[in-house]
Amino acid sequence: MEEMILKLKQEIIEVLNLEDIKPEEIDNDAPLFGEGLGLDSIDALELIVLMEKNYGIKLQDPAKGKEIFKSINVMADYIQKNRTR
Amino acid sequence: MERRELDFVVLNQGYVSVNGRELEHEASGNALLTELYRNHIADWPKFFKMDTLSKAGFVASELLIKELGEHRLGSEEFAQGRAIVLFGATASLCADRNYQETIQDKDNYYPSPALFVYTLPNIVTGEIAIRNHWRGETSFYVTEAPDAAQMAFHLACAFQDQVTDSILAGWVDSSRNDDFQAFMTVVRREDAADTGWIEGQLKRMINILNNK
Repeated sequence: MEEMILKLKQEIIEVLNLEDIKPEEIDNDAPLFGEGLGLDSIDALELIVLMEKNYGIKLQDPAKGKEIFKSINVMADYIQKNRTR
Repeated sequence: MERRELDFVVLNQGYVSVNGRELEHEASGNALLTELYRNHIADWPKFFKMDTLSKAGFVASELLIKELGEHRLGSEEFAQGRAIVLFGATASLCADRNYQETIQDKDNYYPSPALFVYTLPNIVTGEIAIRNHWRGETSFYVTEAPDAAQMAFHLACAFQDQVTDSILAGWVDSSRNDDFQAFMTVVRREDAADTGWIEGQLKRMINILNNK
């Protein structure tokens, strides 16, 4: 799981152009939106695309993203349980 | 009384100057914009998400505002009265191409929302307005090449609304990710009536841009 979390952090940094942030600086339990990384609604859409492109997870209801993107741990757990690739 | 010349910034993929003073730099192309951001700005991470057109416009505006010594959170009146009028030739073509690459292959079809949001040229005016809390008019005109007379005319028109007190004006263009040209200045209402003088000032900036 740890390896997957690191990979996920690297993917998020790359796809969201978080150039000043290193994987180890992202707290696994901190909220991704609002305070945490300060992501916005466009970033949320990019995360939905990332899940589909890299893990074959098609999020039918974008509103679910609010729950899934709560933190790195929650997101990694969801990917682990639902990935098709 | 002799009028003070307008402050200006000129920027392209290998050159940057403020009021004619060349700024030292090591990088070129898109990396130059990142170097300028890190050395002179550094407190707006959204910069990294921008397309090249917005990055070039943003960096040019930041260097100019620094030179002018303007306070970012000015008065309400200042915020309402500061307009942005920019011109460019290729509009958002570069961002359009980047976005198209994400939808080109039907077996690898993942439209990128982050690239899509930059597929309009006037996004650069919004990025600058948001950063500075300006709420005046914003426009982006698409024209073949920088033309001082045409630009002076549009600036004079923008002042006719009686709300606009000053305009961040200039040229910003990017035809490829590593290729950009920009100049930027601030024109104030008291200078606006003399379109001939404004035209002369813009010509000076265009000459520098064209010769670098």
